[in-house]
Amino acid sequence: MDLVSPTGTAAVTVKRLAARRASLAGCRIGVLDNSKPNADALLGRVAELLVERADAASIRIWRKPGASHPAANHEEIAAAADVVLTGSAD
Amino acid sequence: MEGRGIPAVVLGTDAFVSLGHTASAALGLPHLPVVTVSHPIGGVAADDVRKRADGIVDAVVTALTRDPAPVSATPAAETVSGPDDLDAFQEFVMTQGWGDGLPVLPATRSRVARILGRRRIDEVVATLAPRQGIATLQTIAANAALAGAGPEHLPVIVAAIRALADPRFNLFAIQTTTHPCTPLLIVNGPIARRLGISGGPNALGNGYRANAVIGRSVRLVLQNVGGTKPGSTDRATQGHPGKFSYCVAENEEASPWEPLSVERGFGRHESTVTVCGSEGPHNVNDHGSTSAEALLRALIGTAATTGSNNIYLGGEPLVVLGPEHAQTIAASGWSKRDFKRAFWDGARVPLRAFSAENVERFAVIDPERFKDKPRDTVIHVTKTPDDVMVIVAGGPGKHSAFVPTFGDTRSVTVPIAE
Repeated sequence: MDLVSPTGTAAVTVKRLAARRASLAGCRIGVLDNSKPNADALLGRVAELLVERADAASIRIWRKPGASHPAANHEEIAAAADVVLTGSAD
Repeated sequence: MEGRGIPAVVLGTDAFVSLGHTASAALGLPHLPVVTVSHPIGGVAADDVRKRADGIVDAVVTALTRDPAPVSATPAAETVSGPDDLDAFQEFVMTQGWGDGLPVLPATRSRVARILGRRRIDEVVATLAPRQGIATLQTIAANAALAGAGPEHLPVIVAAIRALADPRFNLFAIQTTTHPCTPLLIVNGPIARRLGISGGPNALGNGYRANAVIGRSVRLVLQNVGGTKPGSTDRATQGHPGKFSYCVAENEEASPWEPLSVERGFGRHESTVTVCGSEGPHNVNDHGSTSAEALLRALIGTAATTGSNNIYLGGEPLVVLGPEHAQTIAASGWSKRDFKRAFWDGARVPLRAFSAENVERFAVIDPERFKDKPRDTVIHVTKTPDDVMVIVAGGPGKHSAFVPTFGDTRSVTVPIAE
């Protein structure tokens, strides 16, 4: 039998990703901590290793106000970082 | 960030990777790289977590320096062909990911058309997180058809969907959290009696078609249009039985006070639905108390616990007073507002009852209430008396219920258009 789909469509237009970097040498690493437990430890250590092993220049950390809210300071982060690490869920 | 030309990478745990992908896809970035470590990272020593960074740093470098494989999105078909045999149809529905485990009825064109009546099929009611799924009247009616609802139930279902999309409700979080919450629908006004939405005996339980099919239709819309699949994008650790269906009317006739809808500025003749991001109900048994002050002891004792989301995230937990308890309170001369104030004042936990780790964590989330406070500080279950929600529901008997919420969510009341 013919059925009406219960899923419908999604209001999403697929966007292009930003061009990837040739390397991370000299890059300013931005970290957007999603404020879940230990996200800061994981994100922070990965950022440190990017400096040690991939010659990234610096690390700056922003923290979301709460795990279940989007970050508000996108403009500031985009101006101060060349690449961004962030966390999702627990 | 990607839209601003800044390459980004998402870090998460392997147990939650599907949620990361869905969240990225909803932003139009299905190919956004996600790098995972083994779950969990919460509740373990920070040093253990830092060690895991070593294993993923190469993948992070790759994610930021190499283009990912392109992803093409195929739009969902409006109609789908399924088996005619009803038993085979049940299997088909589960394979499609459309079901909740209980038997469903086929959403045939004619059944969906009957539910819709003369309404515009392509009217957009809401866009639902996390998928950013578009809930048109036709799509909502298809889910109502699966759930066994009739045309008379559609106005309540549509109003509830509209309320759930209100930003104050924080639907993305409610849909994807590990916390056991789901929308509780509270119906006020004349439509409840007309449709047989029960607010009487066993109203939060089984036995009433309107309660069952309205709550179930809303759940199926959230799952199928909103795109939450249990164990995948719906990350509930345990969930609760109300996720099948969770709809109740307020027992306005048995209440000594103004109904919830009137508190929120609607008239008694207007029908409304209120959505709350709720846990399951926890019983409050009090067969002995004969005054408001006495009954309050059992009510606040049930609400003041250390493991609740509300205690550190705030929000609006709900007290569902059984009619006899409500009468006992009102007979002491208390208004609903008097009750809310007394409940707020009494429902509190001393800081020393929490673990040191939790106090440290809560202090980051809510410094005003938890940071650098003496151990004998008391923490109220709600931030203000107005944050205590109260309705009257149920039949004869000496029971009430306390219903905590996700915390980071506000209840939303909307009128039901008929």
